[in-house]
Amino acid sequence: MAFLDNSGDIILDAVLTDTGRARLARADGSFRIAKFALGDDEIDYGLYDKTAASSADYDLQIMQTPILEAFTNNSSLLKSRLLSVPRTNILFLPILKLNTKFARTKMNTSAVDPTSVSNMFIVAADLDTTDNVPTGIGTEIDGLMEGAQPDKEEQSHIRIDQGLDTDELAPRAPLDDDLRDETYVVEIDNRLGRIVGKNGESPRASFVDDDQIASYVISAPMVSNNGNRDLVGVDGSSQTIQGPRGTILEFRIASSVDLQGSDFLFTKLGKTAQTYVIGGQNVTGLGTIDTHVRVSGMNTGYRIDVPVQFVKKLS
Amino acid sequence: MAATFKALGGNDTTTTRTLLHEAIPLTGTIVSGTYFLESSDTQTNIKRYGHGMWESVYDYPYLSSSANHIFDLTIGYSAQSNLSGAANMQNAKKINIYNQMAQVLVGFDENGLVRRFDQDGDHSGGNKINEAFFINYARLLTKDEIKKGSYNITFYTAGTKQVPTTPVTFADHGAATTYKTNSPAGDYSILYTSSATPRADGTSGKGLLYYQAGVAVLTSSIFLNNPFGPDNQYDKQFSSVRACMTGSLITSSCEALRNLWRDNNFSNTTELNSTVYFCRANHNEFNYSSNPTYLSSSKLVVKNVSDDAPVSYVTTIGLYADDNELVAVAKVSEPLKKDPTNELTLRVRLDY
Repeated sequence: MAFLDNSGDIILDAVLTDTGRARLARADGSFRIAKFALGDDEIDYGLYDKTAASSADYDLQIMQTPILEAFTNNSSLLKSRLLSVPRTNILFLPILKLNTKFARTKMNTSAVDPTSVSNMFIVAADLDTTDNVPTGIGTEIDGLMEGAQPDKEEQSHIRIDQGLDTDELAPRAPLDDDLRDETYVVEIDNRLGRIVGKNGESPRASFVDDDQIASYVISAPMVSNNGNRDLVGVDGSSQTIQGPRGTILEFRIASSVDLQGSDFLFTKLGKTAQTYVIGGQNVTGLGTIDTHVRVSGMNTGYRIDVPVQFVKKLS
Repeated sequence: MAATFKALGGNDTTTTRTLLHEAIPLTGTIVSGTYFLESSDTQTNIKRYGHGMWESVYDYPYLSSSANHIFDLTIGYSAQSNLSGAANMQNAKKINIYNQMAQVLVGFDENGLVRRFDQDGDHSGGNKINEAFFINYARLLTKDEIKKGSYNITFYTAGTKQVPTTPVTFADHGAATTYKTNSPAGDYSILYTSSATPRADGTSGKGLLYYQAGVAVLTSSIFLNNPFGPDNQYDKQFSSVRACMTGSLITSSCEALRNLWRDNNFSNTTELNSTVYFCRANHNEFNYSSNPTYLSSSKLVVKNVSDDAPVSYVTTIGLYADDNELVAVAKVSEPLKKDPTNELTLRVRLDY
């Protein structure tokens, strides 16, 4: 992945992605280009210098940014897309942020071995894994989702809040309608798990690409309005977005059949013979796979990666 | 409503066809000499086969993974040729080669018999090329076809084995505008010497060049009345091409031909069918970004106050399917500034 020569005229370097080639090869009509998006992955807007003497110099460094040539892995490209909003007077844009303030939305920090599972959600691949300590890891640790029984109520889930995370605006006003994400795209490695709602919803993947990344397009009822107007920082506040709030996405992760029934993915993608330290006791013989779940707002394009560890008591 | 995708309409796509040409020089030193291994008396870029029906020429010692196959060489003659004779070396194979090439390149007559190569391309009569050298170029070199009017090949046609002389160039003169279409293998034209004017009686042709098939057929008579060879590096020289074609192996004849090869030049043609997507960013589109560095505490870093114009920078264009799957991507060589005062039309071409 070299840099593009920028010494002369502006050139365009175009390639089909691996998924594009796969669809072309399938010859089933799925290769149909219907829309486009613009991206700015290489740009560091922190280099935009509003204090420069001349407005022509504001973006002097940005315009010198070297651009990498196109490569073909579809999931590695267009990580940040440009956004169309007709009005030009927007000063704040919403972000997505994990809300870990509830007992059931916390990530795991130190209940298990802090050297390997710090700040992650944990998905237990099968029922044996959640046996009582020290045979298994039990069910009473932060951030644990029981992948084999995701509809069980008493377990963690992932909550993502959308809104303007600034103390310059009070949360009393709701987020502007044109900046609200009512729909989200959630991507997960299809070999490892699938997305389910915390109330038993079971959305279907829109597609699974050639790298086995499944994309779920999720809206209500897994997406709800955030009507809470509490200030962040006050006692008992359960909010993570400081300013106007938009929507909330909540989901769990179910473990895949492969993960439940076999250990080979732990050997191939993860680690074996791992130990969790829970309540001072060692739980040994675990397999772990570190991955992440990517969440993007359909309207705003903002995205975050949620770190997840799949864990299984290996046979 | 905010959006990051924009639909492409019927007026935003078009298709084009472009012919791309590359110049291919094949010097005599590649064909013989550069990769000669004196200790084993072999050309390491020439691959021979147990059946002995042709030899393959590579641009580098063929046992290396860096080597590219560039063409094959073989010879053949018709069963009706004066050279044909049961006592000849590899007589049947030489006839088989000729018939196979003729079957593919010239086709069959009304009685289902294989036609012979015709000197002027007119199958109704005239002189036939009964004894020929075949140069079968690899698709790596010819791509979709050899560019008409671009081909020339030069051989030494006389002299001694140490000092070959009298180079003669054969080329497809005039083929850019005039060529034949009565071959089952596509277009072809007649090779003439550079000094020859095509004669009305059709006797000035020295060979045939099949453009799409990538095959040059040279009559052996271009070496008539002169010694031929040598058959190996500074080895023996045949008394004549006739003696070579009848009294030696196919590979020996090929080697003799390679040692007389001075150079060969042509251009190939690749037909690019392209779809062009016009990605239009209007003045009020794509002025904001979802890049994490675009915000600091949710505030745009490119603005001081809300009245400031938003600005963003384009480095990538993604083309998506209906289901939002990224199927093609294009990069610009430097960031393009986008703000409400400008519009961009990015022309993305995908070649097939």
